[in-house]
Amino acid sequence: MSIFEYNGSALVAMVGKNCFAIASDRRLGVQLQTIATDFQRIFKIHDKLYVGLSGLATDVQTLYQRFAFRHKLYQLREERNMRPETFASLVSALLYEKRFGPYFCQPVIAGLGEDDKPFICTMDSIGAKELAKDFVVAGTAAESLYGACESMYKPDMEPEELFETISQALLSSIDRDCLSGWGGHVYVVSPNQVIERTLKGRMD
Amino acid sequence: MANTAIELPPKGGFSFDLCRRNEMLAKKGVQSPSFRKTGTTIVGLVFQDGVILGADTRATEGPIVCDKNCEKIHYMAPNIYCCGAGTAADTEAVTDMVSSQLELHRYATGRESRVVTALTLLKSHLYSYQGHVSAALVLGGVDCTGPHLHTIYPHGSTDTLPFATMGSGSLAAMAMFESRYREGMTREEGIKLVCQAICSGIFNDLGSGSNVDVCVITKGQKEYLRNYELPNPRTYVSSKGYSFAKGHTEVLSTKITPLKEHVKIIEGDAMEE
Amino acid sequence: MGDSQYSFSLTTFSPSGKLVQIEHALMAVGSGQTSLGIKAANGVVIATEKKLPSILVDESSVQKIQLLTSNIGVTYSGMGPDSRVLVRKSRKQAQQYYKLYKEPIPVTQLVRETATVMQEFTQSGGVRPFGVSLLVAGYDDNGPQLYQVDPSGSYFSWKASAMGKNVTNAKSFLEKRYTEDMELDDAVHTAILTLKEGFEGQISGKNIEIGVVGTDRKFRVLTPAEISDFLAEVE
Repeated sequence: MSIFEYNGSALVAMVGKNCFAIASDRRLGVQLQTIATDFQRIFKIHDKLYVGLSGLATDVQTLYQRFAFRHKLYQLREERNMRPETFASLVSALLYEKRFGPYFCQPVIAGLGEDDKPFICTMDSIGAKELAKDFVVAGTAAESLYGACESMYKPDMEPEELFETISQALLSSIDRDCLSGWGGHVYVVSPNQVIERTLKGRMD
Repeated sequence: MANTAIELPPKGGFSFDLCRRNEMLAKKGVQSPSFRKTGTTIVGLVFQDGVILGADTRATEGPIVCDKNCEKIHYMAPNIYCCGAGTAADTEAVTDMVSSQLELHRYATGRESRVVTALTLLKSHLYSYQGHVSAALVLGGVDCTGPHLHTIYPHGSTDTLPFATMGSGSLAAMAMFESRYREGMTREEGIKLVCQAICSGIFNDLGSGSNVDVCVITKGQKEYLRNYELPNPRTYVSSKGYSFAKGHTEVLSTKITPLKEHVKIIEGDAMEE
Repeated sequence: MGDSQYSFSLTTFSPSGKLVQIEHALMAVGSGQTSLGIKAANGVVIATEKKLPSILVDESSVQKIQLLTSNIGVTYSGMGPDSRVLVRKSRKQAQQYYKLYKEPIPVTQLVRETATVMQEFTQSGGVRPFGVSLLVAGYDDNGPQLYQVDPSGSYFSWKASAMGKNVTNAKSFLEKRYTEDMELDDAVHTAILTLKEGFEGQISGKNIEIGVVGTDRKFRVLTPAEISDFLAEVE
């Protein structure tokens, strides 16, 4: 068993027109046994920057704490919020530092940058950045998410359509992954509002 | 102990904090994850006025293609570029680190960087990690001593060659070079051969794919031709795409947070309520 | 020297609350060659005297204005060798920032890091404070910026500032000439005129140095030929 399959997870982020969406499943399991059905994997760094962490739950929480700490330090020092690109580089540096004893975590970063230009990015567990213009995925359901997103995604979606698309991609993918499921968390972030929804999904 | 409470920005160097835990997990039978690889065909050749580097743009994680259009030609110095194959994070980190050292060296000496300087910095880093930093590189550039092309293996050994290939597609690419390379090629001939070599990797090696990136470096000039050829366009996508009606997805709860903005209103338009 | 018993160690305050070594360091700056900087509307200029001890010294081998990053430059008044240490440390700091965030270091951050180093050298064992004040000029997302950093580690942002031997005259000259909407070329002229004020001997492209950074965010040290052109315009 790979360590990623210990807790199970599904993460996806998509770019729309001046907006982005990031979504995850809600299951926390220990292998095939479900422990919690309201687990949080997506965290807010600041109003327009979110990070999702797939993989081992203990590392998810530790890493989030380190990211939040470093971002707060940056905010105090530089009196500004991090740009998503900058944050991605920071995450990459923190992960690569543990090159020979990595965190078992694949982050997905999504944010609105300057002029509200959406930015999404994912990495492997040692910080190899992958910048995409359309969508990024991570977690045990990654393979099915790739398939769903490849066919469902289209460029320049408005927030509401983006929500439907990402939700359908997520729900259809986690139905084919036993290690993730129990509905989803979706954040759709546009320049002037954040829509946060929980989705109803299968409960098996 | 006190150090762990207040962490400082990493000053470089690796941390081995998690190794014990990870080893314990491995003993209990949980596998460590695989890392993102570049798969890769990367090539370089010397032509009459300089050096041409080429790369494919596929990144893989096991059998999964995780990036269809990634960048494998890394900046080292204004006159030096470097193609990377192997573990993606390693190639990225090692080239970034050396390019930073080269910049400091340029400030200290006030001269253009030399390719051998980059070569030595890279190989000594890789050698000191005994192959655990798995970066296989093709380094090319033009300096005051002329054009140079080198390959660097993950263990730190290096070659100096008129034409070179690396990565999983290196055999396919080398076949093209061995049969078609000759000394004193023109720029057009050079670019054409590099593209043929990369395409040979793209079509015959499963670890390589998508597009061709090319970088031409000549004395005092460089040209980064990102996605110079696109031999694999998407053919399967529906022109209309999928459309989902609003409210199609079953929602349990919704929370809408307006973002009060630090928006500066320059013109007098009132905000919509 | 009444204070001499309080100057054997850096970490000893005199009863009047002074750290006399720092004041001595400021004296070293005050007797150094004049440097000045002006922040214009669209850029920054820094300039310094480059008087050499003998005419036999090859003036092209001396560089008093140096780059810290491509968009930030620095000059100093005081002890040349001390400044080199700071330049080296600052460049390294800038590279570390870039490696972490993949974003060029903002001028304010770099200045603060440099000032921190200078402060540490007023409080650590076995070291002495730096005998230099720095003028840092840069252009970043917050526009043109000019900072002065002193041996104590204190730093200020200035519209225009001067330091070194001729500081009082130069500052009052700058106070008279400075306007907020000055263009970069005017600022270079003003900088030359200010240097000229207290200059002993004939000013030329070879015995002063000028560095400029404009909206292109590329800091550049002017060549002697370019300085000569500016000198001709001023006259």
